Amino acid sequence: MKHVIHTLNKAFDHRVRLGVMAVLMANDAVSFNELKEALDLTDGNLASHVAALEKAGYVQVSKQFVGKKPNTTYTASTEGKGAFQDHLAALEKLLRGGS
Amino acid sequence: MMKPAVDPLAQLTEIRAIMERSSRFISLSGLSGVGAGVVALAGAGAGHWFLRHEYGDRGYLRLLESTEQERTLVLPYLMALAAAMIGAALAVAIFFTLRRARRTGTGLWNTLGRRLAMSLAIPLVAGGLFCLALFVRGAVSLVIPGMLLFYGLALLNASKYTLDEIRWLGLTQIALGLAAMLLPGAGLLFFALGFGLGHIGYGLLMYNRYERK
Repeated sequence: MKHVIHTLNKAFDHRVRLGVMAVLMANDAVSFNELKEALDLTDGNLASHVAALEKAGYVQVSKQFVGKKPNTTYTASTEGKGAFQDHLAALEKLLRGGS
Repeated sequence: MMKPAVDPLAQLTEIRAIMERSSRFISLSGLSGVGAGVVALAGAGAGHWFLRHEYGDRGYLRLLESTEQERTLVLPYLMALAAAMIGAALAVAIFFTLRRARRTGTGLWNTLGRRLAMSLAIPLVAGGLFCLALFVRGAVSLVIPGMLLFYGLALLNASKYTLDEIRWLGLTQIALGLAAMLLPGAGLLFFALGFGLGHIGYGLLMYNRYERK
């Protein structure tokens, strides 16, 4: 039988991506700067991981302009929320020593 | 058995911490509560002194049965006292919370801070206007219970976005507001209990729990 570790989602195997999803699960729409502040990251580091999550279809990006300033906000997609919940369930199962 | 490459407990703990930190305003300082409580006690004392000065020994009890004319006469003084108390309490609260936010390296006026302020401000402004109407229309004995009830409901509403103790502080104020409604003569005492000792008690509790090292 497949070990439960293989059911852990590959898209979440980096702690920054997990962190981004955690913030988006707890909040509706979050700006890039808020994400950066919540996770204490640099621009480049965060951008690459957010891009990976966007590519996986787990994060939705919406760009608006506030006056002349571009304002990008991120939300977790339905798919992303489901995948994150599955990931949490798999972690809990690992914790209970399931295989 | 091979040890798994991920530590599930550490991951779950970190996820929980991130979700908590990003959705709640946690820089609220317990000393803010203590300061606001001291201001409230001083204010209750000043109110007591003013009413005795105005009406003699019966003070607050006399205010409860005042005529419309008498109420119009003292309203500016009581409003000034209330404004001074709110101003002083807010200043103290912001000072200590700002100090704590600097130490923890989080902002004060970020999305979380703004959301917390709005969720407090809406019920408080509505409650304040309602209590003013109670006073003007002659239901003076309901003013202090109304203040405690609206303040308690505002805290309960805001507690979703901040530390858990705020929910208990809110429930305490609601209970005191209901009790004050049943004992109209003891209004000032309930004011001192709720806004004074309530703030000081929960403030010290929060300070001990989160800030003392």
